[in-house]
Amino acid sequence: MAGELVRAQSITRRFDSRVAVDALSFELSAGEILALLGPNGAGKTTTLRMLGGLILPTRGSVDICGERLTGRTAARLRRAIGMLTETPGLWDRLSVRRNLLTYAHLYNITKPRQAVDRALEIVGVLDRAADLAGSLSKGLRQRVAIARALLHNPQIVLLDEPTAGLDPASARHIRDVIAGLRAEGRAVLMCTHNLTEAESLGDRIAILNTRLLALDEPDALRRTLSGTRVEIDVEGAAGDAATIVKSFTAGGLEVRGAKLVLTSVDANLVPDVIAALVRGGIRIRRVTPEQRSLEDVYLALVNEREEVA
Amino acid sequence: MTPGASQRIGGLVAKDLAELSRNPGATVPPILTAIAAMVPAFLITIVTPKISGEHVADAQELQRAAQRAAELLPELGLLAPNAQVQAFMFQQFALFLLLVPVVGSMALAAHAIIGEKIARTLEPLLATPISTIELLVAKTSAPFALTLALMWATLLVYVGGIAAVAEPDVWRALVGTRVVVMFFVVGPLISLVSLQLAIVISLRVNDPRSAQQLGALIILPVTGLFVAQLMGGFVVGVNALLAIAAGLAVVNAGLLYLGARVFQRENILMRWK
Repeated sequence: MAGELVRAQSITRRFDSRVAVDALSFELSAGEILALLGPNGAGKTTTLRMLGGLILPTRGSVDICGERLTGRTAARLRRAIGMLTETPGLWDRLSVRRNLLTYAHLYNITKPRQAVDRALEIVGVLDRAADLAGSLSKGLRQRVAIARALLHNPQIVLLDEPTAGLDPASARHIRDVIAGLRAEGRAVLMCTHNLTEAESLGDRIAILNTRLLALDEPDALRRTLSGTRVEIDVEGAAGDAATIVKSFTAGGLEVRGAKLVLTSVDANLVPDVIAALVRGGIRIRRVTPEQRSLEDVYLALVNEREEVA
Repeated sequence: MTPGASQRIGGLVAKDLAELSRNPGATVPPILTAIAAMVPAFLITIVTPKISGEHVADAQELQRAAQRAAELLPELGLLAPNAQVQAFMFQQFALFLLLVPVVGSMALAAHAIIGEKIARTLEPLLATPISTIELLVAKTSAPFALTLALMWATLLVYVGGIAAVAEPDVWRALVGTRVVVMFFVVGPLISLVSLQLAIVISLRVNDPRSAQQLGALIILPVTGLFVAQLMGGFVVGVNALLAIAAGLAVVNAGLLYLGARVFQRENILMRWK
């Protein structure tokens, strides 16, 4: 794929007898945000650590910018990656600028001060550069941690729950920053528990629960996994209408007085259903297609997986 | 080490120095140890005789011990009896100053390593291009440098204090091969043992104070040697110090091997809970 920056092929990670991530495969391209959803302990952080070259997969492979990530190449490839860890991890006794300058040295940045100021400006905390990191609010600390991840201008950005525990305004600001990363052509992988955030920011969404349960664009994910739910209000009792519609739906069909509720119907067939009703002399008052929410899809997939397990 | 290693290590060492210097919990115990290690020598050798109106050389046993020590340390033989006993006592107590590198290294390293572990600042560090060996070198360099600086400053104050309050020329008798070996060979080696022990202990404990308590185990041999020296009325000579240094070098090599095994990215991330 053109612009592909990350390729994970069947990566598996075991910790003793416990499998944290099992045969996970996906690609991530420049200018794309992939939101990684999953319950606690689903392997999201482990996945990020494998992609960030902090730990190696037990099986499978990770390619970063077309190069295989191994024990030998990890230190070099980490230069292409900016990582926001689960906690901001700032040195509280040092100023914000001093925190970032240390990282500028760790990335061998030639003009560290400029790089630090640029990164702080991106996240809107340049005016707090001289403050002690320990004096910042949680939201500001998270912004500084994101600035740290962007300090060396990485092509790939890995974010572990970037807005967890933040107030709405801080979360909004961080979401804007993340959207800006896509606009700059960076590849972003973001772990989150916030389904709305995943839906609004993610070009694609991956649902992980040790194994990859689903991976697609948000709309497609809702459609393909649950089908479309359609409510049809007709004049009079809906019994006759139900007889006509029956042949179109493999899923549920419910009659509630003058209302037909079709669940799991193929969205492409809805016009045919309407045409058949009209041909059958049914007068239609209103058709309401209703897709299931991402939350429904997520819970259905995760619960199904847990039942199987 | 890969290209740019010196910049990465230097950056982290500068950070650690800045952070440790702002952390009284890390810096106060070594400073107090330095003071506590110096005070008894002056109390016993200078203050007590002054209060009692006697000379230390009046104690026959001490005088005999000082004369025996003069066979090992010729610089003592050139002194008058009272100065000779004073110099003998200060030579004995100099060994006590080796507690400074033990306590200093352990306290500073515990904060530099376990402090990062508690603050959860290690994972972002591990996500950078720094290699684990570079990280290990950086994390031990700042405590090592600070400890050596403190140990040598303590020695300066000790010798300066002797010059100020003891008999003339006692301080000269102190500045010889024995003290050089003690503070420029044995001291740094003890400091390294303490530092490396801190790294190994870091795997198991989550509190710098617990690490310091465990690390206090290496205070015992130093204190034991000091007490044996005091009770036996002898001084640990240059050859004995060199033998101790050789032993410490071996211990250091073993701890380096153990530390390198413990200080791995995956260990730090997954097992340092």
